[in-house]
Amino acid sequence: MTAENIKKEPLIRVAKRPEVSSKKAMLIRFSSIIVALLLGGLIILALGFNPVAVYGDIVKGSLLSGTALKATAKIAVPLLGAALAIAPAFKMKFWNCGAEGQITVGAIVSTYFALNLVDTLPRPVFFVVTFVVAAIFGGLWGLIPAFFKARWGTNETLFTLMLNYIAIGFVKYLRIGPWMDKGQMFPKVPMFDKAARLPEVFGVHIGWIIILALVFFIYIYMTRTKHGYEIAVVGESVSTARYSGMNVAKVIMRTMFLSGSIAGIVGWMLVCGTNYTLSDTTANGYGFTAIVVAWLSKLNPFVMVLISAFLAVLQKGSNTIQTNFGIPASASEVLTGLILLCMLGSEFFINYHFVFRKKTVGGED
Amino acid sequence: MKKLLALLLALVMVLSLAACGEEPEAPVQGDDNTETEGLTAENIKIGFVHVSDPSDMGYTYNHDLGTWKMAENLGISEDQIINKYNIGEDEGCATAIEELVEAGCNIIFATSFGHGDYMTEAAAAHPEIEFCHATGAQAADSGLSNYHNYFTSIYEARYLAGVAAGLKLNEMIENGTITAEEAVIGYVAAFYFEEVISGFSAFYLGARSVCPSATMITLKADSWSDPVKEGQIAQSLIDQGAVLISQHSDNPSPATTAEAAGLFHCGYNSDMAEAAPAASIISARADWSIYLTYAVECVLNGEEIATDWCEGFSEGANFVSPLNTAVAAPGTQEKLDEVAAGLKDGSVHVFAGPWEGYYVWDQSPFTCAEGEWVEESEDRSAPYFGYIIDGITLLDA
Repeated sequence: MTAENIKKEPLIRVAKRPEVSSKKAMLIRFSSIIVALLLGGLIILALGFNPVAVYGDIVKGSLLSGTALKATAKIAVPLLGAALAIAPAFKMKFWNCGAEGQITVGAIVSTYFALNLVDTLPRPVFFVVTFVVAAIFGGLWGLIPAFFKARWGTNETLFTLMLNYIAIGFVKYLRIGPWMDKGQMFPKVPMFDKAARLPEVFGVHIGWIIILALVFFIYIYMTRTKHGYEIAVVGESVSTARYSGMNVAKVIMRTMFLSGSIAGIVGWMLVCGTNYTLSDTTANGYGFTAIVVAWLSKLNPFVMVLISAFLAVLQKGSNTIQTNFGIPASASEVLTGLILLCMLGSEFFINYHFVFRKKTVGGED
Repeated sequence: MKKLLALLLALVMVLSLAACGEEPEAPVQGDDNTETEGLTAENIKIGFVHVSDPSDMGYTYNHDLGTWKMAENLGISEDQIINKYNIGEDEGCATAIEELVEAGCNIIFATSFGHGDYMTEAAAAHPEIEFCHATGAQAADSGLSNYHNYFTSIYEARYLAGVAAGLKLNEMIENGTITAEEAVIGYVAAFYFEEVISGFSAFYLGARSVCPSATMITLKADSWSDPVKEGQIAQSLIDQGAVLISQHSDNPSPATTAEAAGLFHCGYNSDMAEAAPAASIISARADWSIYLTYAVECVLNGEEIATDWCEGFSEGANFVSPLNTAVAAPGTQEKLDEVAAGLKDGSVHVFAGPWEGYYVWDQSPFTCAEGEWVEESEDRSAPYFGYIIDGITLLDA
């Protein structure tokens, strides 16, 4: 390589890394969190607080008391559920941004049962019926964009996203209109009867058991079944799938029904297990944060458990620092966003690295 | 493989059913005040659940002022008070209350109407702690002796602000800026229910008492606190002919919107003339420290707190901010003094006839004849005036 050649090269360029050892990948991920904490610390300092105290409070406020731990678990469980819901769709490269709406639809039908039919059914039957109905309706809501994609090749990202607003808008209508709490004359859906509330195991509604069972289910479904194989093939190449005789439309619709069903179940446990009522914020962004969880975990259900627990700690902890330090809600969201950004950014550094001009002397392959 | 999955699902169902079999735990009812003995101003712990934070410069800011004034009155130090800010009217409220309980609070205040359901449940679950809910209406019906509601008769201060608004409209009519028919007030409402309706009706009647041609249009934000939306609604009202804006929402953005349009405004909660000195005439405000001091003193002395507490203008529980004389019509202060004296001696009734209207929930007509009036907040602290007076148009009801 001549001197002129070197000059032509940019000062810094991005190159694909060859295979990175898992040890090195972990090191990059770990250091990205450190960088995030340092950057966050600077923001906290700029706001006039002690970063160590604030970080300490995030941990304390999310893990170190019974109530805090339960509240954190109540965030982690639906988040994990939503991530499990979108995993099969994402594996198929069907970008389901509609988990939020599918959760909401599951919540709406569960609420209908809780408000109208809870007295007429025995309690266990009530929960089984609402569980099944929420799953079916969540699944149908997911099926709509899948049908259009399979039939006419519509863009599923936009389609699923738009369906969210319809579902949430419908909740607003119900809240202000037919389902308004007549006893209070205030535009909110009434609280559920005690009988319509999910029983708790270790202080958290039994939904956590169902979600943990789903972790195994999704793992087996994705890696050990014919369905899972078909999903993977469709995700890699629709043409290959078609050539090998798979019914691609069927795979897309079936997978999205499953995806929507799991989201519907999350909606069911949010209203029956956590909120005991329906509101515009029932889905609470879980459907969107789940995308981050699914991405960071590379669609591995077991890793999702860890990631969603970590994000739940961040979310609950950031609520705590708003309270204890009077840090504005938006500032603690910046903090959480920064940590996520660094974590996602680390994936870039695992796959690519910067090449500086000097170092390229001597050749590059 | 399918068998394995079926087995797994069956296992989940069995587990769920087994868990369903347990009855929900009934709240334990215990003696009152068992743990409140030995409480002093030095060791009492007080918790607050706020819907936003003091940076709203409105409702929460104003309530927070009351907190610190109460602390000063009773010699309570800052670290005995735990504030939970930005707690929505959802499940987060239940968690916030639980954390206050866990932190050892002896008395817990929640400030927003939608916190009520969670306060009711917490009060039933923790009979040893006093729960006080502002603007709510569930305490009396709950039958719990540790659960209380409080509010101030803010409609009185609203009425006064309305008088100042009416005089401003008169001035605009006299100057020829607007015709008598164009004296339209725009009102940014959070929701349409009694607390808000009571407020805008009082404001309107105050304005109409001096400016008979005044009318009012309203739009709702569907939120207590949404700075952007509140401003947009104010702009929409202005576009539809409003020349003076008032509000029942937490942020001063309607005030700044009115100022930007070269129009006028009457505020709520904080003195909004600070945010919009060229527009905001006067603001109706509550002094929460009066109730907070009373309630905390009751706990310290082992006395019962009233189930429903509502004091008003005469007691100083609500008041109007100093008149912004740079904006107000001449002679406003004299008129306000006169009406204020009438409110204090009982000769001025806010919801006095003659007016016609309808009940908001079933549209049934209602007439209040000359010489009659509707009494507000007599049997409970929360407002329950739910009539829409002729002259007020809910544009989005």
